Amino acid sequence: MIKKIMVCACLIPFLAGVCTAEVWKAPDQEQARERAKETVPFIKEYKDDCQISRRICLMDAGISLDDVSTVYFLLDSPIIKEREDHYEPVRFAHKRHAALVDDCSKCHHFRPKDEDALETTRCSACHQDSFNPEYPERIGLKAAYHQQCMECHQQEAKGPVDCTGCHLKHVPDHKELVKLPDNPDPIQVTQACLECHDTQGEDMLKTAHWLWRGPSPYTTGHRKDILHGKGTTALNNF
Amino acid sequence: MQITRRHFFGVMGAAGASVAVRPPTGHAWQSKAPPDPFGCLVDLTRCVGCRKCEEACAEVNGLPEPERVNCQCTIFEKDRRPDHDAYTVVNRYYTGKVDEFDKPVPTYAKVQCMHCQDPACVSACIVGALTKDETGTVRYDVTRCIGCRYCMVACPFEIPAYEYHDPITPKVMKCTFCYDRISKQGGVPGCATICPTEAITFGRRETLLEVAKKRLKENPARYLPHIYGEKEVGGTSWMYLSGVPFEQVNLPALPETPSPKLSETVQHSLFTYLWSPILLFGVLGGLMAWFNKNDNPPDKGGA
Repeated sequence: MIKKIMVCACLIPFLAGVCTAEVWKAPDQEQARERAKETVPFIKEYKDDCQISRRICLMDAGISLDDVSTVYFLLDSPIIKEREDHYEPVRFAHKRHAALVDDCSKCHHFRPKDEDALETTRCSACHQDSFNPEYPERIGLKAAYHQQCMECHQQEAKGPVDCTGCHLKHVPDHKELVKLPDNPDPIQVTQACLECHDTQGEDMLKTAHWLWRGPSPYTTGHRKDILHGKGTTALNNF
Repeated sequence: MQITRRHFFGVMGAAGASVAVRPPTGHAWQSKAPPDPFGCLVDLTRCVGCRKCEEACAEVNGLPEPERVNCQCTIFEKDRRPDHDAYTVVNRYYTGKVDEFDKPVPTYAKVQCMHCQDPACVSACIVGALTKDETGTVRYDVTRCIGCRYCMVACPFEIPAYEYHDPITPKVMKCTFCYDRISKQGGVPGCATICPTEAITFGRRETLLEVAKKRLKENPARYLPHIYGEKEVGGTSWMYLSGVPFEQVNLPALPETPSPKLSETVQHSLFTYLWSPILLFGVLGGLMAWFNKNDNPPDKGGA
């Protein structure tokens, strides 16, 4: 009997370990998920500036990439879901976009009239429910996202303009799909990925991860001109 | 006999004169448009051609799923019209507009019932199966419909469709403006709810006109300075803004007078106090009597 209890006692931490291993979630993803659930009070009045003066304003305020407090957003607002919920949330790399666009006024196009308010606000502070009869010219949050993202992606000929380009797809369980040997080496893993995700593989070859040049939010301010490497002479610059 | 005929002519003459003196219509034609209807403003410069409105419309109205819902590759190659399976369809038009790389830019245009302020279909319907509601909806009551399809002939936008495939219980099919939804507080039509870019703005017609004018004023380069549906056929509940000529996206140039104004004025002036049938049969009677008079003497002479 005592033996049995001992065995059970020994098993408990092991089982707990298995359980926690299964429910492990990425902390930044969880943080973004929590943030996405928040709603902020509606800003009724905004300062009606033109885009140029808005840009100058933001530059005068000295807002730079270092001020980007949230690197990553999950666009999953209850404001949109209240009316309809057809697509999975969009993962929005805020800092990466800020680094690429290099002009905060493109998205932060107006500011609240209240002088004490922050220079940059969330989209959902001004854009909430669609067709508000009191503010008929104010577009809803969903339209604000789509108009802003798609228009810029089209203009810059960069970034997706189709639905599933931004919206997460339902990801199937890869345990069933991928069969790997017991102790796979990195090449085997990459090969398994590329069997299905060949376009992603080709896309990756155009990014800074492969080319070793181009913008990356994490190297901003620490960038140096690289003379050699995959992006230039193909000489190893280690 | 002669006295009778003279008497008859006299009566007819007096009747005709009295009708001629009287104004033909009791009152001038008056619009029966609801005072504060709902409407939708379709901004073609915002439409991206995703056809989600078609999908939502089919779902809300219990229609079959649109053709090739999730694939926009070939569907736009044919010009489509709303039919018995679809209350609304999106078409793509290349109007010669190009971007900075000289690539042709498509314009997408959604088409559905415009819910005219003074609908020709309602005027043409002889049994009152079609009515213009306070909400602005042109509603269809299948229980009254006799299937004459006058509405289909009358509509200036050629919208109503007919279930020809159903010989027993055919219906006239057209956009319902999601009446069941918009008649409730805070209700929005299915297509406007789902539209990702708010190319369809729902609201009171008066408010939408203000919104449209504001957009035209703030973005004169983006739009043509015209709100389609503000005045066309006396005004419609659905209105359009566009950056390309409206004729090129299948929105025909139409007069500002409501279609029923002419037809109803003609009808009412012809049939007020039944003067025209009275006159017609009076003249016919007179002619008959006159021919009889001419025919009679030889008969008498022969006898």
